[in-house]
Amino acid sequence: MIGQLLATDLLKMRRTGIWWVVFIGSVGLTAMQALNFGLRYDYLVHDAYASDPWGGLIESTGLFVPIAIYLAMTLLMSMIANIENRQNSWKQTLALPVRRSQVFASKFLSCLIQLLAACVLLTVSTLILGLVLKLPGRIPYMELATFGFYPMLASLPMLGVMLWLTLTVRNQAIPIALGIAASLTSVFGASMPELLPLSWPALAIHSGQTMRFVGLGIGVFAVLYLLGSLHFSRKDVA
Amino acid sequence: MTDMMIETRNLTKKYKGTPAVDALNLAIPRGEIYGFLGPNGAGKTTTIRMLLGLIKPDSGVVQIFGQDLKRERIKILRRVGSLVEYPSYYGHLNAVENLETIRRILNVPKSRIDEVLQTVGLTKDAKRSVKGYSLGMKQRLGIASALLGSPELLILDEPTNGLDPSGILEIRELIKKMPQQQGITVLVSSHLLSEVEQMASSVGIVNQGKMVFQDSIPNLQRKAGSEIHIALSDPDAAMITAREQGCFPRLDQGHLVFKGIDNGQIARLVAALVDARHSIYRVEERRKSLEDLFLTMTSGAANASSERHEAGAPRAAGLRKEAAQ
Repeated sequence: MIGQLLATDLLKMRRTGIWWVVFIGSVGLTAMQALNFGLRYDYLVHDAYASDPWGGLIESTGLFVPIAIYLAMTLLMSMIANIENRQNSWKQTLALPVRRSQVFASKFLSCLIQLLAACVLLTVSTLILGLVLKLPGRIPYMELATFGFYPMLASLPMLGVMLWLTLTVRNQAIPIALGIAASLTSVFGASMPELLPLSWPALAIHSGQTMRFVGLGIGVFAVLYLLGSLHFSRKDVA
Repeated sequence: MTDMMIETRNLTKKYKGTPAVDALNLAIPRGEIYGFLGPNGAGKTTTIRMLLGLIKPDSGVVQIFGQDLKRERIKILRRVGSLVEYPSYYGHLNAVENLETIRRILNVPKSRIDEVLQTVGLTKDAKRSVKGYSLGMKQRLGIASALLGSPELLILDEPTNGLDPSGILEIRELIKKMPQQQGITVLVSSHLLSEVEQMASSVGIVNQGKMVFQDSIPNLQRKAGSEIHIALSDPDAAMITAREQGCFPRLDQGHLVFKGIDNGQIARLVAALVDARHSIYRVEERRKSLEDLFLTMTSGAANASSERHEAGAPRAAGLRKEAAQ
């Protein structure tokens, strides 16, 4: 059933421009670094990051990963929810023989798929940028593969909140405002106390305790997901 | 009573303490077109949402196909097609894609999409994005979606709302065909009695969340009764003549109005009036319009505004309608 629902949700996303957000978000980050490294190539590669240019590229891209992930979660979820909210299609979708919890799960999975696609795109585009820039040294495949992925997992609590809000609140201005505010504050994540989930993606990159924050992110997300799913399953559909 | 498609018992839903639906008992037998009537805000849509499991009743039971909706929701919904209020559609997709989103969940063969598009007459526009559809076309697409899973029960909430007369006619014809051709039971809600009268075989009238009348259409019409109106040259003098004949009419806009009068009495009365040198312009039977009946039933709470309505505009409209016939 969940497979059918997911297939349906992916079909509903046709021509909504949602995949452009995925593409522009990830490739945009790389393009920014292309500009940065293109303009200051000598300084960055031969001076600042001379000891590890690949690491330098990943680090300077990584600075923007938390804000990009938060923004992506906000935008993607509100676009996904908007497909149903716009013509109030919830009453049609939920009057079909489906479990509400599975509808909720399917919306989550669609967003997760898009976030994962964005991570893959970020990895590939950063690798290509590094190769084009002819960065010297060994290519750190492992880090390239995970420098988007781990912070994404550490940011999952945000997706939990967004999932809940966008799918249950008709007025999308509320979740979007919250999401944007959170993304902007997340820039200072590394200097925030680690009690705040907002700091986790930055800490997952910088603190050296990646797995701890990834685990925290997944744990808090699981709780939020369950609460959201329960509420979504019980609420009245207007 | 075993072959009820929909049966509710004491269905109740309250919003902030005020009951929107109050101890409602619906009973819809198989193969009927059931007209669910009531003024705006009477609780029709709330009831329909409860029938589809979109909102949860505060108390009471919904049984569809004899099964409890609470326990067998998914099994039941598989056999139900629905269109709730304004049509739901995905504007950025075309008609085929819209139906495909539902088809994937219902798991019916792809050919059903062409079939339902054929049924509602949208084959020609199937590849156009639904954004550009007229309201009538969107409404028909909504009905196509409802039909996609070959349902045994079709629940349509105000399917003719906002349509032009030709659109209304099309939808009505479509609905009327369903029980005959495909053995579908239809529940169709409306706030227009004339609308329901033209397609339904039985009717339930709901007001302020309560069922005020539930029976077949012929029984409803029987309840409406009829009156004989006689228009003539000198009504005041004619009143006296009529009384002499043992009839007690009332005077209404220069007409003598007789209630519950049989053919023999009319014949004698007319003969007497002619003898008394009255010029008789017209002798006509007027059925109390169903609109009036509807208003009498739904203004149960007898609040001032509906009283005024009953006496004023709708009656005049009803008369005008009858005069035209």
